[in-house]
Amino acid sequence: MKILIIEDEKALSESMVTYLTSESYLCEIAADYTTALNKIDCYDYDCIILDIMLPGGSGLQILKELKANHKLDGVLIISAKNSIDDRVAGLQLGADDYLSKPFHLSELSARIAAIIRRRNFNGNTQIKFNDLIIDTQAKLITLKNVPLELTRKEYELLLYFVSNKGRVISKNAIAEHLWGDDMEGNIDFIYTHIKNLRKKLMEAGEADYIKSVYGMGYKFATQ
Amino acid sequence: MKLLTKYNRVNIIATIIALLVSGICYYFFIRYELISQLDKDLKVEEMEIIDYVTLHRTLPNASSYKDQKIGFELLNNEPINRTVTSKDIFSREENEKITIRELVFPVQVMDKNFKVMISKSQQETNDLIQSILLITFTIVIALLLVLSIINRFLLNKLWQPFNATLLQLKQFNLTGKKELQLEQTRINEFADLNLAVGIMSNRVNQDYESLKSFTENASHEIQTPLAIIQSKLELLMQSENLEEEQGRNLQSIQEACTRLSKLNQSLVLLTKMDNQQFQQKELINAGKIINRLIKNYEELITVKQITIAINLAEDCDLTMNEMMADILFSNLVTNAIKHNIANGTIDVTLTRQQLIIRNTGPDLSTNPAELFERFKKGNQGSASLGLGLSIVKKICEQNNFSVEYRFEKPLHIVSIQFS
Repeated sequence: MKILIIEDEKALSESMVTYLTSESYLCEIAADYTTALNKIDCYDYDCIILDIMLPGGSGLQILKELKANHKLDGVLIISAKNSIDDRVAGLQLGADDYLSKPFHLSELSARIAAIIRRRNFNGNTQIKFNDLIIDTQAKLITLKNVPLELTRKEYELLLYFVSNKGRVISKNAIAEHLWGDDMEGNIDFIYTHIKNLRKKLMEAGEADYIKSVYGMGYKFATQ
Repeated sequence: MKLLTKYNRVNIIATIIALLVSGICYYFFIRYELISQLDKDLKVEEMEIIDYVTLHRTLPNASSYKDQKIGFELLNNEPINRTVTSKDIFSREENEKITIRELVFPVQVMDKNFKVMISKSQQETNDLIQSILLITFTIVIALLLVLSIINRFLLNKLWQPFNATLLQLKQFNLTGKKELQLEQTRINEFADLNLAVGIMSNRVNQDYESLKSFTENASHEIQTPLAIIQSKLELLMQSENLEEEQGRNLQSIQEACTRLSKLNQSLVLLTKMDNQQFQQKELINAGKIINRLIKNYEELITVKQITIAINLAEDCDLTMNEMMADILFSNLVTNAIKHNIANGTIDVTLTRQQLIIRNTGPDLSTNPAELFERFKKGNQGSASLGLGLSIVKKICEQNNFSVEYRFEKPLHIVSIQFS
């Protein structure tokens, strides 16, 4: 899976590369408008991470170029501006998703995974993790061919974990992913949800995949 | 008090005083003139009688006409002086009291002293004075009326440029981005005023613009470093051999970073609202939005074992920005959940006119009136930002809703009146 990161802030693009590379994505960086245009002209990417404010031009212009050339690359806009106009303009121009800075890398990774899944939905929409099969189109989870009864939030939580398997995900990232930005303050309630999901997985005969890491967050891993 | 009222009051009082004084002077002057005229006539009669006496050595006949009477009286040695007086007598002809002017003087006829009394009616003089005064007063009062009406119209017209400027100032809105349309006027004072107002509004506009762009730029610039910190923290968290203490430190940094970023986002939102950037309005159904929000937070309500009673009218349609509606109701609903206690209750009632959210919660340690101010929290130690309710208030202000908070132990009650 090839990903192009169009972002002028070096420290940030490096972080993204590090995180996404270990998810076995192949990452390239374009730090300005012209480089970005050259890259999208020459290569096809599964997903393009696009910053709107770039030296030399606007990310929205790049998006227009992409659509004008009938490119099928998925596009995720990341912007510091967090303005509705940008969001609306971006999505109307055909971007797949929008993420405002600052964001959690785990959120970025989950969104990219979702975009790539949607892009090739002719193929496989199932995610496998050991005995666990998640059908993202039907929003169904089966464990050893037995359907697992989960609430909507539990389904989203499990999908989020699987999209970031082997990673430590912070509690804030989980809270924001599930309930949006409004849940400022105490987020200890996350614990109860994790506990419930863990219980359901273990009752269905699966190993305990969800591990708590030093109060920082949780990790979904086989060991 | 209006300037015109004040001006008219002073004007009328001064005019009335001047009128009274001049009226009195006028009265005495006319009276003096007319009585002197009478006295002159009397003197002519006196002369005629003295001439007659000198010529004929006898008194003329006493006479009594309507307007002039002449009478004689024999004097018994007591001398009299020549006097002219006005007095009131009863007239049988007129059957009323009348005023007469009487000249009394001595005359000697053949060693006998006589008192001669010539009287003329002063009534006509009095009538004349009355008529003159009446006409004068009528004219003056008519003049006063006409003047005050002219004044009123004239002053209104004169002040028109001022009123036009005032109207512009009242409608002046920093966020409207409209320049003041000041009328041209040939009156120097108002031209000066317009010039000063124009310069001032331009300066205010410029200051506001620069402040606005500063706030916007500052918050955008903050987002990028925050994004870097956030991403590096997450990478650090993935390190294999972290010690427990390092993990906890990372978590603290992470939380602080999240708070900072949310604070920034809230401030950006408030700034945008100040800048009226959410003007696009549409018809939204409040019941549907609140229902969706409560569904979204269902699990949190269950975790806290909160009992929730929902009573949503289906016909509460509001014309407002959709995102604003979302933020408004979301803030209220999450507040009711966040600031609740275990086994607490939430009661959401929506009618066409109002939304009332009652929830249990810990006692309030600050003044309820201050809760809507920025950075005021019910509990200073809490991790919340204290911006939620000021955002609620701002949204309500912009949509002409009235919002109210009260605490009736143990219930916190927030009510919003639409329209």
